[in-house]
Amino acid sequence: MERSVRCIGLSKSFHVGKERRLILDRINLDVKEGDKLGLLGRNGAGKSTLIKLIGGVEQPTAGKIVKGMTVSWPLAFGGAFQGSLSGHDNLRFICRVYDLDYKETLDYVEGFAQLGKQFYDPVKTYSSGMHARLAFALSLAIEFDCYLIDEVIMVGDARFTKRCEDELFNKRSDRTLLIVSHNMDFIRSTCNRTVLIHQRKIHECFSVDEGIDRYHEL
Amino acid sequence: MLQVRFLFLGRVNMPSSNQRVSRHGRRSAARHVTPTLRQAFATQWRVIYALMMREIHTRYGRENIGFLWVIGEPILFCAGVAIVWTAIRPSHEHGLQMTAMIVTGYVPLTMWRHVVMRSVKAYEVNSSLLFHQLVTPFDINVARSTLEIFGTILAGALVFFGSEILGYMPAPQNWWLVYVGVFFLVYFCYGFALIVAALSELSELLEKAVGILTYVSLPLTGAFAMTEWIPARYQFILEYSPLANCIEMIRSGEFGIAVVPHYSILFLLASCTLQFLVGLYMTQRIRPHIKIS
Repeated sequence: MERSVRCIGLSKSFHVGKERRLILDRINLDVKEGDKLGLLGRNGAGKSTLIKLIGGVEQPTAGKIVKGMTVSWPLAFGGAFQGSLSGHDNLRFICRVYDLDYKETLDYVEGFAQLGKQFYDPVKTYSSGMHARLAFALSLAIEFDCYLIDEVIMVGDARFTKRCEDELFNKRSDRTLLIVSHNMDFIRSTCNRTVLIHQRKIHECFSVDEGIDRYHEL
Repeated sequence: MLQVRFLFLGRVNMPSSNQRVSRHGRRSAARHVTPTLRQAFATQWRVIYALMMREIHTRYGRENIGFLWVIGEPILFCAGVAIVWTAIRPSHEHGLQMTAMIVTGYVPLTMWRHVVMRSVKAYEVNSSLLFHQLVTPFDINVARSTLEIFGTILAGALVFFGSEILGYMPAPQNWWLVYVGVFFLVYFCYGFALIVAALSELSELLEKAVGILTYVSLPLTGAFAMTEWIPARYQFILEYSPLANCIEMIRSGEFGIAVVPHYSILFLLASCTLQFLVGLYMTQRIRPHIKIS
């Protein structure tokens, strides 16, 4: 099977009260292996929804997603972690679910996230930066072909950003990334392709710079 | 200076940065993609176990007796009711010892009610777990139900042996009938939980009404009376209630020839299996209806 993620005629609508709100309308997207794809668009355009659909968290209303590679869960604020549990408990849960070696994973995550003692505190007490560190460390403990990153990378401090760059862009430079961000400098330096989500449709851009220009014109 | 030192510390436990990390091996997500049947079962077991451990930690924490509360909750309930009823009611009803009636009726009832309560909106409150593609709604439900069932069985056994040692309750005449009755009770609870969880996800009304409905349907559970005691023309109602069948069976094992039990193993097998299959079918299709928070 081809190593890609293909969205075919993908639609998603939510029920808001009695009304049905269409977020994505029959979009097609082909993510090839090694793509560093930036998803651009205004707030509420459906970027996070698309990420959740691709990550298998939300189910499409119509259309389908053909996955030829393994896709991580969406790395975002909220979701994926149980707030009342500590980072360590969340790690043990992930080790059990994905059948990882506990000791090895613990070493890796503690080394990468560097949360110190707070690793044993409930996740809901974490700052957004700490949350991001934990989310990254845990998802990098599993080797996915494609990582879905929803904003979360930008909140880390300089040292953490450096680490992420090393882990994601150097050691895993062969992997596919889907990145949602409003930080255009980050998009420019990271992505080799951008698409624009606007008014329920997806617009392919010919270059990263064109995508960024169109984003600014929205 | 400090900055430099930290950077250095950070580098120590990382391999040199140009080295590519392999996507094969134990940490690879790819090995979960096309499992054999055996691997699929192993995964399912791992996930359910992980969910149970997580549930224990979130619900009971790590302080004081911690996970023993799994037994503690139902035992307080069952023992409390058994003590109060033994104290205020006549010692025998229809020739049967009151404590034995309460223990054989209330323990199954507690199991059923707790399982139902746990499965209401079970998927929505746990939607963060569905971020992991290996976790399915079925796993979540089974994990939660198993904890309740396990807790109630242990609590029931403790209350039973306690009453027996204190002389309020004789030992069962036929242990096998008790075992088989409890087996069907567990089977019934698993299936019922699947259906309640799916329906409560679809309907807000049902979610609110579940408490009332379980209360109103108390007479249908056969927990407080034996089928034989009610007028013959109404007995069919309890005979068509799987839970009442289970309790009749357990009581038949407890009291032996002192009671005329109304149960049918064939009916239990058929109704519980049918219910379980309907529950499985609904659980398979519930995924798009779960609201992810």
